[in-house]
Amino acid sequence: MENVTEVLQLFLAAENFLAIAIGVVVGVTVGSIPGLTATMAVALALPFTFSMEPVAAILLLVGIYKGGMYGGSITAILIRTPGSPASACTLLDGYPLAQQGGAKKALKMALYSSVTADLISNIALIFFAAYLAKIALNFGAPEFFWLICFSLTIIISLASGSMVKGLIAALLGILLSLVGLDSVFGSQRLTFGNYNLMDSISFIPLLIGLFAIPEILEFYRKKVVPHLRAKASGAGISMNEFKRSLKSIVRGSLIGVAIGAIPGTGATAAAFISYSDAKRRSPNRERFGKGEVEGVAASEAGNNGVAGATLIPLLSLGIPGDVITAIILGAFMVHGLTPGPIMFQENLSLIYALFLGIMLSSLILLVVGNVAIRYFSLIADIPKAILFPIVLMFCVYGAYAVNNDTFDVWLMLAFGLLGYVFNRTGIPAAPFLIGFILGPMFEDNLRRSLLIGSNDLSIFVRGPITWFFIALTVGSILLAFYRYFAARNKVKYGAEEPEQGI
Amino acid sequence: MTRSHSTGGTRVKDPWDVVAGAVLLGFALLLLFYLIPHYVGEPAVMQNPMMSPRWLPTIVGWLLLVFSVLLILQGVLVADEDGDGGGGRRFERGPWLRFALMVLALVVYVGLFELLGAMLSGIFATLLLFLAHPVRTWWAYGLAVVFPVGVSLLFTEVMNVPLPMMSF
Repeated sequence: MENVTEVLQLFLAAENFLAIAIGVVVGVTVGSIPGLTATMAVALALPFTFSMEPVAAILLLVGIYKGGMYGGSITAILIRTPGSPASACTLLDGYPLAQQGGAKKALKMALYSSVTADLISNIALIFFAAYLAKIALNFGAPEFFWLICFSLTIIISLASGSMVKGLIAALLGILLSLVGLDSVFGSQRLTFGNYNLMDSISFIPLLIGLFAIPEILEFYRKKVVPHLRAKASGAGISMNEFKRSLKSIVRGSLIGVAIGAIPGTGATAAAFISYSDAKRRSPNRERFGKGEVEGVAASEAGNNGVAGATLIPLLSLGIPGDVITAIILGAFMVHGLTPGPIMFQENLSLIYALFLGIMLSSLILLVVGNVAIRYFSLIADIPKAILFPIVLMFCVYGAYAVNNDTFDVWLMLAFGLLGYVFNRTGIPAAPFLIGFILGPMFEDNLRRSLLIGSNDLSIFVRGPITWFFIALTVGSILLAFYRYFAARNKVKYGAEEPEQGI
Repeated sequence: MTRSHSTGGTRVKDPWDVVAGAVLLGFALLLLFYLIPHYVGEPAVMQNPMMSPRWLPTIVGWLLLVFSVLLILQGVLVADEDGDGGGGRRFERGPWLRFALMVLALVVYVGLFELLGAMLSGIFATLLLFLAHPVRTWWAYGLAVVFPVGVSLLFTEVMNVPLPMMSF
């Protein structure tokens, strides 16, 4: 009873409601502007949370995340430009439907399936996070060491594009995370005598540099492309159409939950798996790809089913599953909190206040999404020539605000340049960021294990949990090789045969 | 469709990968043989080499070396997955003046941020960027003043996050 009162006290603050509402509005707005991403918005919002209470700060970022996921589908449906990679699947049916005069139908279906999937995903988060955290209480340093090994290998093996590039990105991330004073011996590592680097590289300038600056650099370097205009016209969806798609929505949501709970898999895979599953089971399968509303429902359900579930490994194990949860992890750290099993013991009220806020964000998404459908054309017509200078201003102010030092602005620009080079060379930024976050945890748990085991390496195979994670690590490496050879065969095979589609 | 590029008699499938791999190889060598020995301090006595502050950077260095060689090989032997240059890796460039003005705006931010303060440097940089990608609506230039002033005040007055203000 005492806990319930404490949870309600933490949750019922006006600041939380405002944070969720602002977060969802910003997320949907940014997501529905082609060229701006939810990741960029979450990264830029992080400096604004410094003076906020932890619950409101996290809810603001979660709101942006969820709003951005839905916002991305608006541009996918109306102008065939997915706002996020995960929305790419939505355009397969959403865009043809919009071309046939059913834009509003597609947008409404995307919204309702997103909200349903989001609610299912949140319920899964509430049930599984606590359960997993309870199990994780039995973990010691060797178990966490192997869990981090597994997280790193699975993220690399599932990274889009080349596995070698994913590995290089993760290694560079780990290397940069080691800059600063050594946590055990206090000796300097790659600081070059610069006192700004002694406290390690600041997370926020790195984040803003990596995910916002490259987009700006490309915008000023690329030739101008014509601006597309579109309106959400036509009729909405009927109850019958929603009921017909409900099974696909629920299945898609569960697929999203299962995939989201595994670090590194992400919403894109969930959207495509959910879409192909719905296509396989649907009596209207021949209409998929030509404007079938159930296709929109399935892909959006898969895409949004991931949102709550990616928070499961973050909250229960302290392991970020993707880039946005990595940023949210940063927000926890800014407020002196370390997600993981211990947080469930020490800050249970805060976690349940967060759960309530996350549930509320789904309902706010329903309201904001409906308004966004009506006013989308106003949002999407804002010229990027006006938007990007303002985004750059937020980047500079946000980076400076971390330590009130121009050094962080330089750092942000350096990481912006690195992100730009990554884009040009096809090196993925996500494994880099995850490597940067997991690097110190990897080293810390390795050293603690050695200390506990008095330098005896057998501590790393001390029980069934370590063996379980070793098996998962080996399995994820094998999966990486399988994906590599499967992709090579597909390229060979694809050169001989015309593309079949999904 | 795959595209090969002829370089000195050999056919390279993806020159971007070869260049990136070569740069990383150079960096890995620099890291292993210069940066770690000179810039990573190590205590005189160590019970287990795995506890050393140099252990993980060295492992990362060697792995980087191996994977950069693999990246070079991948560039030589394997065609770009997207065929056309890969995931928007190549694009048609815009005018150089636009890019130069953007660089100038960045210089204003990093060079004059503390001297002029967040508001003034924000106004100058935003105006430069508006000119770079010409904003043709005259009233939009008012936004170049409104936004830096508004956002600076939001940071300093509402969010209590200090930003440099005019030093004169």
